[in-house]
Amino acid sequence: MKAFEILDHTADIGLVAWGRSLEELFANAALGMFSLIGALEKVDRGFATTVSVEGSDYEDLLVTWLNELLYLFEAEEVLLSHFDILELGQYYLKAKVSGEPIDFAKHEIFRVVKACTYYEVKVEEVEPGLFRAQVYFDI
Amino acid sequence: MPEWSGPLQKIDDWRFRIPKDYKPGMRVEGIIYASEKMIRAIRKDQAPEQVANVAFLPGIVGKSLAMPDIHWGYGFPIGGVAATALDADGVISPGGVGFDINCGVRVIKTNLTKDEVLPRLEKLLSVLFQNIPSGVGSEGKLSFSPAELCKVMTQGAQYVISRGFGWPEDKDHIEEGGAMEGADPDAVSDKAIERGKDQLGTLGSGNHFLEIEVVERIFRPDVAEVFGLFEGQVIIMVHTGSRGFGHQICTDYLQKMQNAMNRYGIKVPDRQLACAPLSSPEGRGYFAAMVSAANFAWANRQLITHWVRESFEEVFGKSARSLGMEVLYDVAHNIAKIEEHEVDGKRIKVCVHRKGATRAFAAGHPAVPERFRSVGQPVLIPGDMGTGSYILVGTELAMQETFGSTCHGAGRVMSRSEADRTSRGRDIAAELERKGILVMAESKATLREEIPEAYKDVGEVVEVVERAGISKKVAYARPLGVIKG
Repeated sequence: MKAFEILDHTADIGLVAWGRSLEELFANAALGMFSLIGALEKVDRGFATTVSVEGSDYEDLLVTWLNELLYLFEAEEVLLSHFDILELGQYYLKAKVSGEPIDFAKHEIFRVVKACTYYEVKVEEVEPGLFRAQVYFDI
Repeated sequence: MPEWSGPLQKIDDWRFRIPKDYKPGMRVEGIIYASEKMIRAIRKDQAPEQVANVAFLPGIVGKSLAMPDIHWGYGFPIGGVAATALDADGVISPGGVGFDINCGVRVIKTNLTKDEVLPRLEKLLSVLFQNIPSGVGSEGKLSFSPAELCKVMTQGAQYVISRGFGWPEDKDHIEEGGAMEGADPDAVSDKAIERGKDQLGTLGSGNHFLEIEVVERIFRPDVAEVFGLFEGQVIIMVHTGSRGFGHQICTDYLQKMQNAMNRYGIKVPDRQLACAPLSSPEGRGYFAAMVSAANFAWANRQLITHWVRESFEEVFGKSARSLGMEVLYDVAHNIAKIEEHEVDGKRIKVCVHRKGATRAFAAGHPAVPERFRSVGQPVLIPGDMGTGSYILVGTELAMQETFGSTCHGAGRVMSRSEADRTSRGRDIAAELERKGILVMAESKATLREEIPEAYKDVGEVVEVVERAGISKKVAYARPLGVIKG
């Protein structure tokens, strides 16, 4: 199982993530998004925080989760690389996320992701024990 | 990606219709402005489906429109225009504006000619590059207190002009005077302020740029004269928006409207089209926050204008005034506006969403600055970094057909990964230099994603709006130097 793959879109970029549980799915979607932003190999764990978000269903929760992480990226200027989902229900997610404050001498940043959109967003169990998520980002 | 196979009926050489009965739930028909050749490319992705989806918006009047630079977006297509009637409980949709609220273009004129600028172009670019923060994570040179940021939200460009960043008359040549009415800082989240506060006075990255251009062709000398443009003249084009501040406002309200839609019984075929009646608390809140971001963007382009002038002063050793560095105009191409238009023979108030489309008001309209009122509003159309830009003028037909709107740029035809594959191993900066265009960029990756082949030919786009009559060509300008984030 791949953690995630990129979808072509004329103006923007899409992402498909996979997981054996919803927790793994949401963590892989976040990892996929940050892989679009920068090179994650050299990101240490000097920064950690807890994130809680609410949504009206799993799709809303996914979009809101990813947008919350984009907010952290810009407001706290951190590159995030580890996502530990602590609690996940249909309307609520709590996670510990960690990474490192951006150091332009050390970290390669590829692009800014402006936002995660609701366009064609999907969270589905494609077979028992295998979950698939799809989102498009505004670049 | 499958081709879009829905119905596109040819009305004439420049207009194609998606009939209202294409999908049950469409309240109006869709119209795409394009040439036959462009339609073949437009069918390659899902942009026409998005034109049809926009036609579902409650209160939509006229038609769901798409300009010839239409391309696949999310929710609205890029290049989409839709108006909703205020008195029919029309909605406002954050997706109809986009994340980069008041992404737009400003042109600053000079009285310098190409021959005067070319010998100092490299120096000029490096001074501009130094003076104007650009690229991912760039921070502004100024720090604004929360109270000052509130003034930026309510007074936009006019506030930073009052602080010394510009000339008093600059405001007369900005859409809405650079300070649109209806802003409310209380409608803006702390997160948006936190995300945006260090980004005021920065160019950003992606498709945003600052270009030094030379006016190479004048199509309508009488209008060009009113605009103050002449052949051989050097002008500066700035393309940027409200940065992270606007992105967060759109994000915040999209989520609020997901929940509100159920409450108002609104159903749309794409969740990114989330919307709420303009008269509802969510609709009013979004409008007030969106205007705050629009004003932030006008303040942003104003600050950059100030540093452009300072850079020219440094390089040419003359005052910006003696270099004739007036603002020609400043347009928003991602915005929603309350305007009065004639619909089915009646003048009504509508909320015009322009998502990758430019206002193009005709001569005589009171919103057109006095200096241009006899000819119409200047419309600024950036091309991609290799091909140049157009300056157009609004027309009466645009008032009748498109709620006074026209195209906004070239429009992408190639995905970023395709552009990356196509440009692998190429030195894009060197290729452009061979074409006589000097480029300075924070990121080589950005340059490759933004290669000229990734875009439609802006010349073809402009040809369609000219032939269709929804704006007229005034001048074409070719880039000499480009700064990219």
